[in-house]
Amino acid sequence: MKKMYWVIFLAFISMTWISPGHAAKTPYKIGVNLELTGPWAEITKTLKNGMVMEVEKINAKGGINGRPLELVFEDNGFDVGRAAANMTKFTRDKEILLVVGPFEDNLQATTRAIAEREKITNLIICPSNPMVRGLKQQWAFNIAQSDIIVSQKLVDLSLARKYKKVLVFHGAWPLAQSLAENFKSFGEAKGIKVIISPETHKPIDIDMTPQLTKMKPIIQKEKVDAFYACTGGPPGPIITKNLRALGIKTPVLGTHAFGFGFIIALGGEAMEGVEFPAAKPVVFDQLDANDPVKPVNIDFDKRWKERYGTPSDQIAGYGYDITGLIEDALKRVKGKVTRASFRDAFENTKGFKGTHGIYQFSPTEHDGLSKKDMVFVRIEGGRFKRIQLPGAE
Amino acid sequence: MVDQVHKEFRRRDLLYSGALWLLSLIIPDPQLHYRREYRFRKRDLFYLLTILLLPLIWSDPHFHHIMVLGGIHGILALGLTLFLGYAGQISLGQAAFFGIGAYTTAVLTTRYGLPSFLAFWASALTAFLFAYLIGRPILKLKGYFLALATLGFGEIFLVMVRESPRLTGGVIGIFDIPFFSFAGFIFDTYLKQYYLIWGVLMGLVLFSKNLIRSKMGRAFLAVAASEDGASAVGIDVSRIKLGVFVIGAAFAGLAGSLFASVMSTANPETFSLNLSVLIVMMVILGGMGNLYGPIAGAIFLTYLIDELSRYQEYSLPIYGVILILLLIFFPDGIGTRLRIRLIYLISYWGRKRRREKVEL
Amino acid sequence: MDIIQILPQLLSTGITFGAIYALVGLGFVTIARASQIINFAQGEFVMLGGMITFFLLNKIHLPYPLAALFAILIVVIIGFLLHLLVIYPLRKASLPILLMATLGASLFLSSASALLFGTLPKALPPFSARAPFEIGNISVSPQSLWVLVAAFLTLFSLYLLSHRTLLGKAMEASSTDPLGADLTGISRNLMIFLAFGVSAGIGSVAGIFITPIFYVSYHSGILIGLKGFIAAVLGGWGKHNGAILGGFALGVLESLSVAFIPSGYKDAIAFIVLLLILYIRPKGILGSPFIDSRRW
Repeated sequence: MKKMYWVIFLAFISMTWISPGHAAKTPYKIGVNLELTGPWAEITKTLKNGMVMEVEKINAKGGINGRPLELVFEDNGFDVGRAAANMTKFTRDKEILLVVGPFEDNLQATTRAIAEREKITNLIICPSNPMVRGLKQQWAFNIAQSDIIVSQKLVDLSLARKYKKVLVFHGAWPLAQSLAENFKSFGEAKGIKVIISPETHKPIDIDMTPQLTKMKPIIQKEKVDAFYACTGGPPGPIITKNLRALGIKTPVLGTHAFGFGFIIALGGEAMEGVEFPAAKPVVFDQLDANDPVKPVNIDFDKRWKERYGTPSDQIAGYGYDITGLIEDALKRVKGKVTRASFRDAFENTKGFKGTHGIYQFSPTEHDGLSKKDMVFVRIEGGRFKRIQLPGAE
Repeated sequence: MVDQVHKEFRRRDLLYSGALWLLSLIIPDPQLHYRREYRFRKRDLFYLLTILLLPLIWSDPHFHHIMVLGGIHGILALGLTLFLGYAGQISLGQAAFFGIGAYTTAVLTTRYGLPSFLAFWASALTAFLFAYLIGRPILKLKGYFLALATLGFGEIFLVMVRESPRLTGGVIGIFDIPFFSFAGFIFDTYLKQYYLIWGVLMGLVLFSKNLIRSKMGRAFLAVAASEDGASAVGIDVSRIKLGVFVIGAAFAGLAGSLFASVMSTANPETFSLNLSVLIVMMVILGGMGNLYGPIAGAIFLTYLIDELSRYQEYSLPIYGVILILLLIFFPDGIGTRLRIRLIYLISYWGRKRRREKVEL
Repeated sequence: MDIIQILPQLLSTGITFGAIYALVGLGFVTIARASQIINFAQGEFVMLGGMITFFLLNKIHLPYPLAALFAILIVVIIGFLLHLLVIYPLRKASLPILLMATLGASLFLSSASALLFGTLPKALPPFSARAPFEIGNISVSPQSLWVLVAAFLTLFSLYLLSHRTLLGKAMEASSTDPLGADLTGISRNLMIFLAFGVSAGIGSVAGIFITPIFYVSYHSGILIGLKGFIAAVLGGWGKHNGAILGGFALGVLESLSVAFIPSGYKDAIAFIVLLLILYIRPKGILGSPFIDSRRW
């Protein structure tokens, strides 16, 4: 019994004494606040792997200005309180230059507010929330394609395909909701009739047949040209599968979140013919020969395959882009590298070639990507196939 | 010979008795309140000074933030310990009352511009009213089925929040809730929020301390021991159960209001089943039938979860294992079991030295 | 009329879901008949059944039936371990602690499976023909019929176990009359141990049969477990045929509700049904052998 207490005591002591070893040169530290557990774990893990791989590459080359980069990961478990706690942990650590994440928009509002208050750069992936966008931001930058760009691109796709009436079945979470509303406002300006169904679904729903059954009469009566599955993750293939099982042959449009291999694996044959606007890494091998992004992607994919054995995807591409953007900004910092000077350098990023496109930031524009950085994709033969439509690209 | 050894008093014994006294100061004896009338004791002073001075000694915003979250969880756990620890009823719907409080504050301050001080009390009142309405039908259930019914209420609350976007912002939630302010004083830093939340918590502890020694508080214990016995001595069991349920809910409403004004957002994902489970866990690990234990449990679990964050994707499985191990080894609360063990250990060391002496 | 047009299709979906809830509910009932424990990790057995089959099928490349069989075996072992490592040490603990321990076990199982198999959803190939066939206006997928068959076969074998074998009777005795069971020399711990194995087996069978229709993901266990439990309470807590009846009632009710109210409210239906049944008739539709007094 006594021995057990000693063991516990020693374990406690050793836990409090464990501290990272000191490197010869003080590294630039980057805090990463991600949902490494919870529903997005797989996707954030890909992002983490991408960043780790790129940081190792930079450090192997001797770092930036002779100083290595170091990533400090914290898991926020998809919880607002923990995300905020991690954020304060990072801001307190004076060595941490900037914070990457969180991934999910529910958590971003809180961490952004902390970033603005504590004056630390916060890079955000998957920005979507209209209310978050309304906030004035000085220290937060968006990396991924925003929902506005995706919606505009989707309107272009519908116009090129001559769809006059589109029925939207959206998910009950902020990103899907805001995608649906943006699509309606942009689409109706261009003369497309958009019907947003009052039926919704949740990310954990495993069957959409009841909702789709209820929509079936509307699809037949209104003679809808296309069905927009405004969702992400597993509900996408589930909707398509159930739709086809109910004998509805209407073409299906998807969101940029359809560009993952597992979507095709889940949906199988039902996914054939689904079209969606996608990020460039999804079909990087089919890009135009003179596309500046193509060589970046080919090189990145080769290194990813060597290291992890699987093909890279768009989220891994964000890992490359984030690390590259940070490296680019650090190189341009004049004088001492502080949180403020880093932010100024980052804000002046011009023409950085990432895997997703060419990033441009300015004091008024904190969204890095634009409409030009997306392509149209169609699922054919169990693969993503780039399509080029006249007048839309 | 043996008698002589017993009479002998040495400095070492002073050390052992001092250690025991310190132990009784830090880890309370859960049986104490059954025996004595409430009065302000040395232990209370010790806690009070610790809470007041700790953030000044350890002035680290991250620590303050953890303590702010821990304090909010502490209020929730305090409300539940009255229901679970004293009245012996289980609730898995505490997160719903927490959410009701948070949304009341969020809606009143952002939509109607009410001062947060008023919204604070309105939150408690709303949670109280909801608890009164649902408490009547479901409190006739017991055990697992009460747990399940409260869980069901929590789920229904979440669906209602998601499906009424006009009022609650739906799945997007409400942002930019102003910080808590009172008479022009804004609680905008973590240090200020720390004192706000722990101040509220102290007030609620005082309230609970008086409550459990009142006639109603004694009735809680009677109901927990035996409902039939309690009704036989003339206690209106259903009224007592409802009373303690609504008080716990009002505490949760206050905690929710503070949470909304500290985090400045209210989002349905926050008020899920996970939170309810976490609160029950805090009460169990802190020790049931004890007021300080659940608060300590709240701080402990909040801190544990924060520490586990650094293990990245392993954090959740490790957390699950730790919870099960704690339940198996400390089923009546960490403090209670640790106290028994430590008392045994200290006195064992004392006795051992003496035995050695005798053998000489 | 639109609603009348879509009702048959909704009904057929509801029956599929009913069979799933019934299968999961049977797992709860099995443990309840051996002890008064409610195992909130029951949904995780369902998830693990599908997940391990997927793993054996796609990573180890076993043939489908063999993969399913091994998956059931592994999940049964996990069920035994759950009893040995969590339930047995807590055999004397009070109810809230047992409840929390099974919830903790559920958290551990789901997050460990996320760690081992990844968080991306996985789909199994259907057992037989792929294309749905049409009966009149309704389309039915063949896998739904498989689930129905599985539910009734499980019901039948559980019926045989509890009414035709000594073991089943001993299990039941250890729950309804613990003292009597002790006096007649029945080892109650052994009975609960066996019940956990059987219930884990039922859960994994459910997982293997339903994964081809939908998909399996590490977090799909909790909700399906809760719905299964509600089904068991609705039909009559502790009765095998009650779980089946409750499952179908819940599935059909949930599915039909979509015709009348927005689907966002669908998940609340099960819980509203639960609150109503607990308030009006706690015994459930068929009555319960364990709930006899006016309060419980």
